Amino acid sequence: MERIITRFVTALRERGVRVSPGESLDAVQALAFGGLSGRDSVRALLKLTLVKNVNDMPAFDEVFDWFFSRSQCNPLDIDPGEFLSAMIHIVEGEQLKAEEYRTREKDDPLLIVDEEATAEDLENLLGLEESDDDGAGAEIMVQLDGFRGKMAAPEPSDYYLKSPPTVAFSQGANKGRVVPFTPEELADMQEVVSRMLVRIRKDVQRMKEMENRGKLHIIRTIQKNYRHGMVPFLLSLRRKRKEKPRLVVLCDVSYSVSHATRFMLLLLHTLQNRLMHVRSFIFNKELAEITPMLRNMPVNCLLETIDKGDIVNLDDNSDYGNVFKSFKERHLENMRGKPAIIIIGDGRNNYNEANDWALEAIREKAGYLLWLTPEERDIWQRGDCQLDLYGSYCDRVETARDVDELSRLVEDLFHTLFDHNDTRAWQHRRQERKVEEPQDYRTYYTRHSGAQPAFDPDVRRQW
Amino acid sequence: MITEQQVKELLRNGGYIADETIATAVFLALRMEKPILIEGPPGVGKTGLAKTLSTVLDFPLVRLQCYEGIDEGKALYDWEYGKQLLYTQLLRTQLDSYLSESTDLRAAVERLSSEESLFFSRNFLVQRPILRSFLSTKRSLLLIDEIDRSGDEFEALLLECLSDFQVSVPELGVIGAEHKPLAILTSNGTRMISDALRRRCLYLYIGYPEFDREVTIVRTKFPELCEGLARQMVEFLRQVRELNLRKPPSVSETLDWAQVLSILHTKQLTPAVVANTVGVIAKHQADLKQVTDLALQIMA
Repeated sequence: MERIITRFVTALRERGVRVSPGESLDAVQALAFGGLSGRDSVRALLKLTLVKNVNDMPAFDEVFDWFFSRSQCNPLDIDPGEFLSAMIHIVEGEQLKAEEYRTREKDDPLLIVDEEATAEDLENLLGLEESDDDGAGAEIMVQLDGFRGKMAAPEPSDYYLKSPPTVAFSQGANKGRVVPFTPEELADMQEVVSRMLVRIRKDVQRMKEMENRGKLHIIRTIQKNYRHGMVPFLLSLRRKRKEKPRLVVLCDVSYSVSHATRFMLLLLHTLQNRLMHVRSFIFNKELAEITPMLRNMPVNCLLETIDKGDIVNLDDNSDYGNVFKSFKERHLENMRGKPAIIIIGDGRNNYNEANDWALEAIREKAGYLLWLTPEERDIWQRGDCQLDLYGSYCDRVETARDVDELSRLVEDLFHTLFDHNDTRAWQHRRQERKVEEPQDYRTYYTRHSGAQPAFDPDVRRQW
Repeated sequence: MITEQQVKELLRNGGYIADETIATAVFLALRMEKPILIEGPPGVGKTGLAKTLSTVLDFPLVRLQCYEGIDEGKALYDWEYGKQLLYTQLLRTQLDSYLSESTDLRAAVERLSSEESLFFSRNFLVQRPILRSFLSTKRSLLLIDEIDRSGDEFEALLLECLSDFQVSVPELGVIGAEHKPLAILTSNGTRMISDALRRRCLYLYIGYPEFDREVTIVRTKFPELCEGLARQMVEFLRQVRELNLRKPPSVSETLDWAQVLSILHTKQLTPAVVANTVGVIAKHQADLKQVTDLALQIMA
């Protein structure tokens, strides 16, 4: 019995379910009490003792079915028929591609010269060789005079989605574009956020100690000591009202940032779990609120739902301008207080209307505006990226690609928020900041050309 | 000794329709003397299970409702300062004569401090829920409700109580439980509960019940409701739950609705009936419309 349980627990651990030795002992004990009357009862007993999290339940069921099934011969769990048809599709797809290549080679020259190109354009082309820009071809074309902003943005290719191998695999293996989070990733994130929250809480506590908490609340003290003949035996001290920062998160889920989307959604989910006042939105071309879903759904399910395009249409290009506009129109008025707003995305607007006035309006309402982008700073100027424009409205623009960077940023943000909420306590700290900030901002937003930022740091409020 | 089947029957007698997992969990908790941590959406009968268990097992119910900022003074024990003060006042004359034997102030203080334990004894200890359930004369049921509302510190405080069933009072030492209570913790999952606490508990997730079980629950509570209507109702609510509402209706809403429908003597669900009673199952303005629309779509 013990051997089987140990092996089963090992299988669970391999699948990412965290089981402690104490829990496996519990399981053995439970089986001794409950008996081995039937498969379902054993499953229930093991589940009660070994699994301590809802999100682990599907994994448990899977491992249980596999471990205690009679035939353990098909570990990959693929239907042979499906597999065969998928393979056929792949071969067909290869043939298609080869055919296409042959025809193209015969008919078309590799380089197509636009008939309407003027001498000036050609001159520009020649000039390109000297420029030290090592960007891709499409981008250079867009950067040519007169083209910027006029050319339609490239649509996401249909070919990839509709090609037989893709279709075959997406149906046969039933796998989405995004791999679901592994339990380790979830646990890591939980841990980082917990550590972060502990640190933040400590700071907040220290801050609270500095303010006038602890003064005697005379009226309440008298009330409390009524039955002791007004002898102040029990003291009642003043306490500051507990304030939780409000946070609004806008997260881009388009193709261009799909590599970072998973990670961002995980952050949203974790934030939502740990902090009370969070409202979360995702967007591509359209904006959608996912606050209630984050609360009710395991993150993997949510990811799948988003991935299927059920919430926002993923086949469009991201349109920040439109999103800011609709956020301003639909949600901004409903925001209570002065929430901190975090926008997560690469700022690639696909040459749509920038609508930066909407962002300005949002910035007016927000207590703090933070932009997180997964892209490195030196490619912000390339292509359709509007981060320079949008960034000028934000309090901060930061790059974040992994959990650690992000936790540092969010921690900073919280300090800033509490700083804002408690004006008196942190006065000395703020003065220190004031001295260094303007300088900091200038270097921060200086563009490659050396142009000064389009905003005046002195006018901006300090947070 | 009680068996799983008996647990199930007992619960059924108490009006609680349990499925296999719930019965097993209760049975195991009784045998292994381990707490159960119950998670699930609001209104699926987590607290209800504890209440029913306390009735059918005849364990006195000790309930601790958690909230933000709850501490040991509210959960474990507290010193009754008022009573201590009163006793000091009343015993003043006695004290005077007792202390008059000592020659100087130092001796008086020493003498008094040797009697300190008198004032920090069980006489002046106010038992708060957890200690009360430990010291109860018969085995009790300790319900720690909505643990996710409390803070991390409180959770840490529970670790000792729930693993060893004892409370440490610095002035008195360790007070162990006379009868280990059946502890039930509930959580709505608004905050992650720490792994340390999870490890000490059996974990039970109660989700929305399966179709048949929900119909049985409705039929048990409201036998006058006809079978057809009950099934129709539950079926409709299951579809409502898939609508992605802000607050999906749970079992408690099902029961409320069943009550309303039985008061109205409804024979069959129609869009009009749903429109008139929609406030019972949907609790947000945005949800109301979605539910009525669904009713029109399905039943028209």
